[in-house]
Amino acid sequence: MHCWRRGGKDFGLPGVRKAKAGLLSLLCAVGLLAQEVKSKSEPVFQVSPLKGVDFVLRNSPTSRKYLIETMPGGVGLLDYNNDGLLDIFLVNGGLVRDPMRSPFSFDRHDPAYWNRLYRQNKDGTFTDVTEQAGLASAGDTNYGMGVAIGDYDNDGFPDIYVTNFGKNILYHNNGDGTFTDVTAKAGVAAGGWSVSAGFFDYDNDGKLDLFVTRYLDWRVETSKTCGAEKPTYCPPGVFPPVTNILYHNRGDGTFEDVSVSSGIAAKKGHGLGVAFADYDGDGYTDIFVSNDVTDQFLFHNNGNGTFTECGLDSGAALTDEGKMLSGMGVVFQDYDNDGLPDLVITQLPHQPYVIFHNDGQGSFSPRELEAGLGALSGKSSGWGVGLEDFDNDGWKDVFIIQGHVFDNVEIYDSSLHYREPPLLALNHKGHFERADPGSDMPVAGRGAAFGDLNNDGWVDVVTTSLGEHPQLYLNRGGKLHWLTITLRGKRSNRDGYGARVQVNGQVRFATATGSYLSSNDKRLHFGLGSAETADIEIKWPSGIHQVLQAVKADQFIVIEESVQP
Amino acid sequence: MIHALLWVCLLMQAQSAEPTMPPEALSLLQSGVDAENRRDLDQAIAAFRKAAELAPSSGIIFLRLGDAYMKKHDYAAAIAPLKRAAELSPDSLPVHQLLGFALLAEGYAAEAIPHLEIVHEYGALGIAQLQTDQPAEAVANLQAALAKSPGDPDLLYYLSRAGTALSSQSLDKLLSAFPDTARGHQALGQNYYALKMFPEAKKEYEQALALRPDLPGLRLELGQVYAAGSEWQKAEEQFRGETKLQPGNAEAAYRLGDALLQQGKMTEAAEELRRSDLLRPDMPETLYSLGRAETVSDPNAAEDALARVTQLEKETPLAAQAYLALAAIHRKQGKTEQAARETQEFRRIQALANRRLQTTP
Repeated sequence: MHCWRRGGKDFGLPGVRKAKAGLLSLLCAVGLLAQEVKSKSEPVFQVSPLKGVDFVLRNSPTSRKYLIETMPGGVGLLDYNNDGLLDIFLVNGGLVRDPMRSPFSFDRHDPAYWNRLYRQNKDGTFTDVTEQAGLASAGDTNYGMGVAIGDYDNDGFPDIYVTNFGKNILYHNNGDGTFTDVTAKAGVAAGGWSVSAGFFDYDNDGKLDLFVTRYLDWRVETSKTCGAEKPTYCPPGVFPPVTNILYHNRGDGTFEDVSVSSGIAAKKGHGLGVAFADYDGDGYTDIFVSNDVTDQFLFHNNGNGTFTECGLDSGAALTDEGKMLSGMGVVFQDYDNDGLPDLVITQLPHQPYVIFHNDGQGSFSPRELEAGLGALSGKSSGWGVGLEDFDNDGWKDVFIIQGHVFDNVEIYDSSLHYREPPLLALNHKGHFERADPGSDMPVAGRGAAFGDLNNDGWVDVVTTSLGEHPQLYLNRGGKLHWLTITLRGKRSNRDGYGARVQVNGQVRFATATGSYLSSNDKRLHFGLGSAETADIEIKWPSGIHQVLQAVKADQFIVIEESVQP
Repeated sequence: MIHALLWVCLLMQAQSAEPTMPPEALSLLQSGVDAENRRDLDQAIAAFRKAAELAPSSGIIFLRLGDAYMKKHDYAAAIAPLKRAAELSPDSLPVHQLLGFALLAEGYAAEAIPHLEIVHEYGALGIAQLQTDQPAEAVANLQAALAKSPGDPDLLYYLSRAGTALSSQSLDKLLSAFPDTARGHQALGQNYYALKMFPEAKKEYEQALALRPDLPGLRLELGQVYAAGSEWQKAEEQFRGETKLQPGNAEAAYRLGDALLQQGKMTEAAEELRRSDLLRPDMPETLYSLGRAETVSDPNAAEDALARVTQLEKETPLAAQAYLALAAIHRKQGKTEQAARETQEFRRIQALANRRLQTTP
């Protein structure tokens, strides 16, 4: 097993290091320009409900404090009908009775508790197409959690995987605006309490596999309430840890549970978030699982169908004080433009949001204090998280949707809040500074998905919050340049998940996974600052290396995987 | 509790002062003593009671009767004969000793005190004083008792309670006599802080500062309230104020350094932490924070500071943290084997701490 490497083998694509010096001066200039364009006081987003979206995330809080009720729900951004506009899939919780009595039902047949698919119209409004798409109801014994999106059968239409407390559901996109529940055939129902999930291709066979995090061994019958005089939700340590699940895509519409043979099931934790990237540049996508009050898991892909968990040996398992994180949301992208994917993990108050900086050679070190994020997170609880370049200055910024786990946290600590506004921190050459997200409305935030909803070249955010409508953080935009890339794999998986894409020196790892319970726009967005053209290098999961030079800025381009290696 | 030999001596002393008693009473007294020696306390009590009826002016008979009740742990029944014994033999030390214990055991602490004072039973006296709201006297007497019996857990328990009561009493006095003084607000601030009522604590400290802005320690304490709430910028302001008031205070410098560290102001943090290290060398917390502050900018200096922590601290959580931080530095430097050893050491100490936690009742 190789958790981290000896020696100083360079990472990634040829030319990355050489390009850095020139890039640095370019980015410095861009940074100055960005400051001129957008003053600090100007909000980055215009915040509003989504027009035509009447969805309410119904978590059904009870006096029994059933743990599931404080954990949903996810949001996915996908273009399900390939009309070029992002649509929105929202996962609902369910009805939780107070108390729950056997036989347990979450009444998911009731339209109030359905998951919902909203098709985006050309005017930016949305139409509920749940029923006609065949996505109504979600199983009465399922309490909804999250969503993963990927084209697992490479037919050009994104499929939807919904995680639940109960059985998960895989909806195959039929390509005609409808979906079919293929869970039984595919063999991906899992069971127990699934949380975040994601599609990725761990064996580079061109077919998307599926990873599912599971939280803990909780059942209604064995539910507990903590806090004798002031009952509230129990911490995860009260319940036994569980294993995560890895499904291998056989390519015939079925999946094989390879959790044991791959080594994934060797580790039990309290998984909440998952993110993918090839952190050590060996050409195989690795897995990071954010665990709640357990060591964080970094599953290194050994390239032979097995994984080795090497969080502690890589420096990505614990805080710099050697403490366990209450890891919730996670994103695995490069925040400091050194070409290596870093980790940003959200957690509970008085535990700073963590940045594990990728130091190269498979090693990570905490960097949240140096990067300024630690000081911005003191009293907040973070869930969905994104590293996106919201101001197109060439540096990825952080957006975190926030809100405490306990709906009665104020009686425990008056300085903490169940409902909180989100955190937006703009990245100034690797240092984060708080910025105005456009709303200080406090919500019990949970899910967050990132993507360019109105195709203006500026990344937007859709968030979910318990008991409320989803919110749209529509980017107000600016004058800087951008480029948005859609990958089309040929030998690689069609979505291009796992590709390493470098644009003018910046790097993104192609994935829709990251955040919490949510699935992002699969297109890769790059802020270019003042640059009007871009040089693009792609390392596909197939190993093919592709270069495009002097590509014009401010456009959406589709890059098809070249045939020649 | 009562030394056997001393008791025999004292009993003989008491008997020598006795008036002559009727032969039947003397016979019953002897019969009671024999029964007591057989550990037949009921028989002994019956004999002593009859003897007391025949010789109602005999202090020794009432003393033996009270003692038998005490041995039976029937303290309530012991009180009456011991009181009678005290009337008849006011100078008898065993009588005062037993009566003091019996009264204390039955909750008559105030009544017990004069008897315990006579026999210099400092431990029991301290307990009685604690129960009668005399914590200062209780502390003094319990300390005197502990000097004779060092490490006695019962005495230590009561001493800690007496100390708490004394502190509370002093605070009450301070607050009732001088409610609107800086010290009064500071004391309240400390109490709120201990109770994790941070907004209330802040308010009290701010009032204290308004009254005496140059009182040393106030800003240090207020800064810690802010730090507990992760309000690092405000904490920094207070700690900075304290370092101006007390430039030679190593703790103030350390806390300022740590607040700067938490905000990612690594250069300033390192400077302040180095200053603290000069003021009071070899403080593990200071060195650990210094190591964290210098990890990126000066890994060699960070390594030195963290290595000093591991020399000063053995198998403590801070030592574990230092090993983990060293492993991160060495991993980054490509010193993989060293990093692996340090990670292993971190794991070992963590496991030890977990085992300790599990065995702690």
